[in-house]
Amino acid sequence: MGLTILEKIIALQKKTSHIRNLCILAHVDHGKTTLADSLVASNGIISSRLAGKLRYLDSREDEQIRGITMKSSAISLHYTTGGNEYLINLIDSPGHVDFSSEVSTAVRLCDGAIVVVDAVEGVCPQTQVVLRQAWLENIRPVLVINKIDRLIVELKLTSQEAFTHLQKILEQVNAVTGSLFTSKVLEERAEKDAEAQSSCTENSSADQVYDWSAGLEETDDSDLYFSPDRGNVVFASAIDGWGFRYILRFFKQRALSHFIKLISPCFSLSSQSKGKKPLFVQLVLDNIWNMYDAVVTRRDKEKVEKMVTSLGLKVMSRDLRHSDPKVLLSAICSQWLPVSRAVLSMVCEKLPCPAEISAERVEKLMSVGARRFDSLPEKTQELKKAFLDCSADETAPVIVFVSKMFAVDSKALPQNKQRPLTQEEIAQRRELARQRHAERQAANQSYIYTLFCSADALCAQTEALSVKAAVEEENKEHFVAFARVYSGVVRKGQKVFVLGPKYDPSLALRALPEGCSVADVLPSIPHMTCCTVDSLYLLMGRELEELDEVPSGNVLGIGGMEEFILKSATISTSPACPPFTPLNFEATPIVRVAVEPKHPSEMPKLVRGMRLLNQADPCAEVLIQETGEHVLVTAGEVHLQRCLDDLRERFAKIEISASEPIIPFRETVIRPPKMDMVNEDLGKQQKVAVIHQVKEEQMKNPEGVQVDSTGLVTLTTPNKMATVRVRAIPLPEEVTRLLEDNVELIRTMEQFSLFAWEDKTLDINQKILENIQDFKVKLESNLQGHKWRGAVEHIWAFGPRRCGPNILLNNIEGYRRPSVWQCLEREKETERAEIRDFDNSIVSGFQLATLSGPMCEEPLMGVCFSVETWHMKISAPLAQQDSVDEDSQPAEPSNDDQSESSDVHETSSNRSRSRVEAAGGSVDCYGPFSGQLIAAMKEACRFAFQAKPQRLMAAMYTCEIMATAEVLGRMYAVLSKREGRVLQEEMKEGTDMFIIKAVLPVAESFGFADEIRKRTSGLASPQLVFSHWEVISSDPFWVPTTEEEYLHFGEKADSTNQTLKYMNAVRRRKGLYVEEKIVEHAEKQRTLSKNK
Amino acid sequence: MSIFTPTNQIRLTNVAVVRMKKGGKRFEIACYKNKVMSWRSGAEKDLDEVLQTNTVFVNVSKGQVAKKDDLSSAFGTDDVTEVCKQILAKGELQVSDKERQSQLEQMFRDIATIVAEKCVNPETKRPYTVILIERAMKDIHFSVKANKSTKQQALEVIKQLKQSIQIQRAHMRLRFVLPAKDGKRLKEKLRPLIKTVENEEFDDQLEMVCLIDPGCFRDIDELIRCETKGKGTLEVLSLKDVEEGDEKLE
Repeated sequence: MGLTILEKIIALQKKTSHIRNLCILAHVDHGKTTLADSLVASNGIISSRLAGKLRYLDSREDEQIRGITMKSSAISLHYTTGGNEYLINLIDSPGHVDFSSEVSTAVRLCDGAIVVVDAVEGVCPQTQVVLRQAWLENIRPVLVINKIDRLIVELKLTSQEAFTHLQKILEQVNAVTGSLFTSKVLEERAEKDAEAQSSCTENSSADQVYDWSAGLEETDDSDLYFSPDRGNVVFASAIDGWGFRYILRFFKQRALSHFIKLISPCFSLSSQSKGKKPLFVQLVLDNIWNMYDAVVTRRDKEKVEKMVTSLGLKVMSRDLRHSDPKVLLSAICSQWLPVSRAVLSMVCEKLPCPAEISAERVEKLMSVGARRFDSLPEKTQELKKAFLDCSADETAPVIVFVSKMFAVDSKALPQNKQRPLTQEEIAQRRELARQRHAERQAANQSYIYTLFCSADALCAQTEALSVKAAVEEENKEHFVAFARVYSGVVRKGQKVFVLGPKYDPSLALRALPEGCSVADVLPSIPHMTCCTVDSLYLLMGRELEELDEVPSGNVLGIGGMEEFILKSATISTSPACPPFTPLNFEATPIVRVAVEPKHPSEMPKLVRGMRLLNQADPCAEVLIQETGEHVLVTAGEVHLQRCLDDLRERFAKIEISASEPIIPFRETVIRPPKMDMVNEDLGKQQKVAVIHQVKEEQMKNPEGVQVDSTGLVTLTTPNKMATVRVRAIPLPEEVTRLLEDNVELIRTMEQFSLFAWEDKTLDINQKILENIQDFKVKLESNLQGHKWRGAVEHIWAFGPRRCGPNILLNNIEGYRRPSVWQCLEREKETERAEIRDFDNSIVSGFQLATLSGPMCEEPLMGVCFSVETWHMKISAPLAQQDSVDEDSQPAEPSNDDQSESSDVHETSSNRSRSRVEAAGGSVDCYGPFSGQLIAAMKEACRFAFQAKPQRLMAAMYTCEIMATAEVLGRMYAVLSKREGRVLQEEMKEGTDMFIIKAVLPVAESFGFADEIRKRTSGLASPQLVFSHWEVISSDPFWVPTTEEEYLHFGEKADSTNQTLKYMNAVRRRKGLYVEEKIVEHAEKQRTLSKNK
Repeated sequence: MSIFTPTNQIRLTNVAVVRMKKGGKRFEIACYKNKVMSWRSGAEKDLDEVLQTNTVFVNVSKGQVAKKDDLSSAFGTDDVTEVCKQILAKGELQVSDKERQSQLEQMFRDIATIVAEKCVNPETKRPYTVILIERAMKDIHFSVKANKSTKQQALEVIKQLKQSIQIQRAHMRLRFVLPAKDGKRLKEKLRPLIKTVENEEFDDQLEMVCLIDPGCFRDIDELIRCETKGKGTLEVLSLKDVEEGDEKLE
């Protein structure tokens, strides 16, 4: 852009009343960027011929390729009307649902919005969303009805039909605005009612008067609506470059005055005399229709020329001769009714300047969350005045809001840009070159070739090095903060406070001395940092122009903030400034994928790239899960694609792949079901027999394991010295939840017993003790019934990891051990049974068993293992020796690292024992005895688990879906296809939206959001939050057994078993054995040998 | 036996022969390919899906059927189905392509799972995912040996992986209490085996919390047991020292 315009803009920035900050909002493909193009062209930044084709503000490559806008970008324009000069800070925003977060960032910085509506498509889902967004941010919208040319050329409507069509669209838009208005009024009303109610009950007055009027009548809403006679609607076709608001330009200047009175009624579209065409059609639409007819449809050269001359336009002969009529059309139209003038004049007239910011909006911006404005500290409330003044005084406190950070290539920064050289510089360079040349010649003459050459080589080397460094420097991403000044003047080099979103001014004000400023050395306050403003930029679409200072009311870019600001922040010189309310995002990130580098060695690069991405994108989230997965959460599939592209090409610069994230499961047992799969009542015996039969098939020959019909498992260690009997019992659901919620308490208790074991004490403060007591009482109340008698007292351990949701019960007669509750009792247990030394082995066996269950090696949940008997045939000396290595409980897992299989199959326990004694207690043939016990216990637990009906537990999301009535059916279809279950459905008051609450297995959630959006054309948007674990009711090992089941399912039970599917998927992923045939039908294999 | 003519002969295709020697005789049965392993593992329960014909041969390719007398003398029964089941269970066979492939694939994944379980990224103290490990294993052209245990191969592959990616075995956290007089002497011996000492207290007895490589566990265990004659205690605080919980990148 020219230097003159830049200067003009800088000058205009100081005149607050002549600034307009606005954004363009619309549904996807309604022509936002095209409209922005024609506005940009009016300033001569791009050629008006290219306007609408270039999409200047879509600077990303993928934006150009896909043809949709993906980010909000700003440009400053200059507009002169009637002797007044205006500065227009225009922000173009994306229309796709996935990027609605970008819309939020744009809307926040503006005072007004241009809402674009496609004349053919009318009000679309996103139109409603953006209108709501504008409404929530209290900014004033104006309407542009775009693409009217499509009514003429594509739909071939007559002017009369088009008129009714436009009327309808206008009604639709106003209906949306109206409903927003009503819901707000109703809300206020409800609040008022609630207050009144509370006061009423206090007074307990008998004569309650009900006020049935909703309050709608009292509130005036006329200024909200769009109507042409109010001048806030433009009819346009941005692609052809025309648009009009008032219809003055249709007539020659002379006739104008006569018509002025006639015209006024025709602004309101509804005025219509009987039998005749409405005035609007006669005067306006017909003219346009004629034009299109002449230029595009009939290509009547003579008529065109006549029109052109009568309108007093000049059209270049080149355009007249052009074969594409569109060229001629836009050449004529852009002179006749230029869209930029119509839109910009409307903007300047109808939208407020930054100084006109309403007090209501200021309060809304300043009060974070549920805090009321009046509850803020006094000093903060004083700042409201600064907001309202919007003064660019030196004394006014600086308040800037940063709504997002965007990454810029360092090449694009104005500091690094090549500028045309001035005359003197060129001269200087020439001089330098001449000198160098002379020197070289001199050197040549002195014949010191060798020296010269070596020196030169050295020079070249250093040069190469510096070039390399420069290249690295260039590759670095720079972040520019997208911001707006609300008060004061920001200067380069100024010191400011950066306030994070969670900053609390009242805290800081208390901590800071009176009247301190940024320059002082300050105590550190949470969410507040000091920094210097590095550089200020004027945002010009793809380019940035450097500025020295920016007065209030302007949109700007701030450089060098990447270390202080993550996504959004408030910048101020006053510590009393509250952080602005967080942006309200219409879409929350829900699409989760796991990201991995193609080459595992590039992991650090990926992590760095993801950090940068997180900063650059207001709506993306990245996290590392416990499993080591790097998870990227985005708002939708298109957003995801953009994030991945960004990672690949900008931030990480490596090849990456995205995949479905790993889905966790839990394993559990349940009570034997009473019904079979076809809902027939099962006799008790029958089912037990079935279980037994299945089990027999499953474990054909585990040695030394006996399972009786009640699920009691007896197992002996390989050296036949110890026998344990274990039973698995399902825990009630409430107990499991209780255990899950109290992990921290259990951990403390565990620590205490550990210390007690070593005869030390751990001091636990009273409050935690009380909590533990409380926890114990709750457990007792939940474990009622004769099966659980005394169970709480007998709890031996929790698992896995000593604090999980599974319980080991000590039901051994005559075996006493300190209870897990010993921290409550504070009494020392003195006697130690002989087998006490091996107590730990049993516990570790239990821990290992609960850490990975037999179904697919996932942790157990809600299972209670009760040890019924535990026999030891043991001689005293051995017990002593083994007490040493008893602590080495994990010997079992680590032992089989090295091969120890050579001597495993010796069996004589006597011999091994003697050997143990001889070797000074190192190992017997099965490894240390404690290790054997661990293994035995673990196996016993696993068999006990398998002896019961096993189930998988799936992680569940709760899912809240907002949908309009017409898409409910399709939404239910998607939900039920993905095994979702609807919990409740209710209508939102004052709107036609339904709110549906459902639960959905995490395993089915991949692609769910996208599918539901596609199927409902974006009218329903789900939000997923992890809620709980739920038992999947179907049995993974189920085969038809009863006669009814055979009848219903057939012998093979071909219907898919959901649980089995999940289980096999996990097993396959982990490389475990999956019971499935390699080839389903033996006969249907390919014949390899052909010579038959 | 009828005359052997092209019209009455039954040609079997896709045959997998299972052989067994019993009672000095060789018996064979004709099975479908890729099915015998499924039968043995119990996945395939339909015998007809495994056997091509319900006959016991002496030589499948020549079509010589075994005599009933031989069967009853070798197996103690002349019930052909019963004999087939015995041969299927115990006989030797050529493992066919898909069977071998799926077996190797499963082992490969198993190895990767073991590696992922045992190792962490030393920078972040977080495990790698199985998929990533698999990819890294493919990158270094690791080939599975069918006759070696997966655990053993996993330990080998960890060593090889160290050259290409940042990986190390997750440390074990140990705590041991040693009597004072042995403490000093033992500490010197233990030092080379310990990676990092997290906490050390020396008053009347030496108490140490340290991280070790799981491979050294046995040595340390042995050392402490022998040197202190059972007075020192060793306790494993955690098998794997990894970060817990999710972390948000910011």
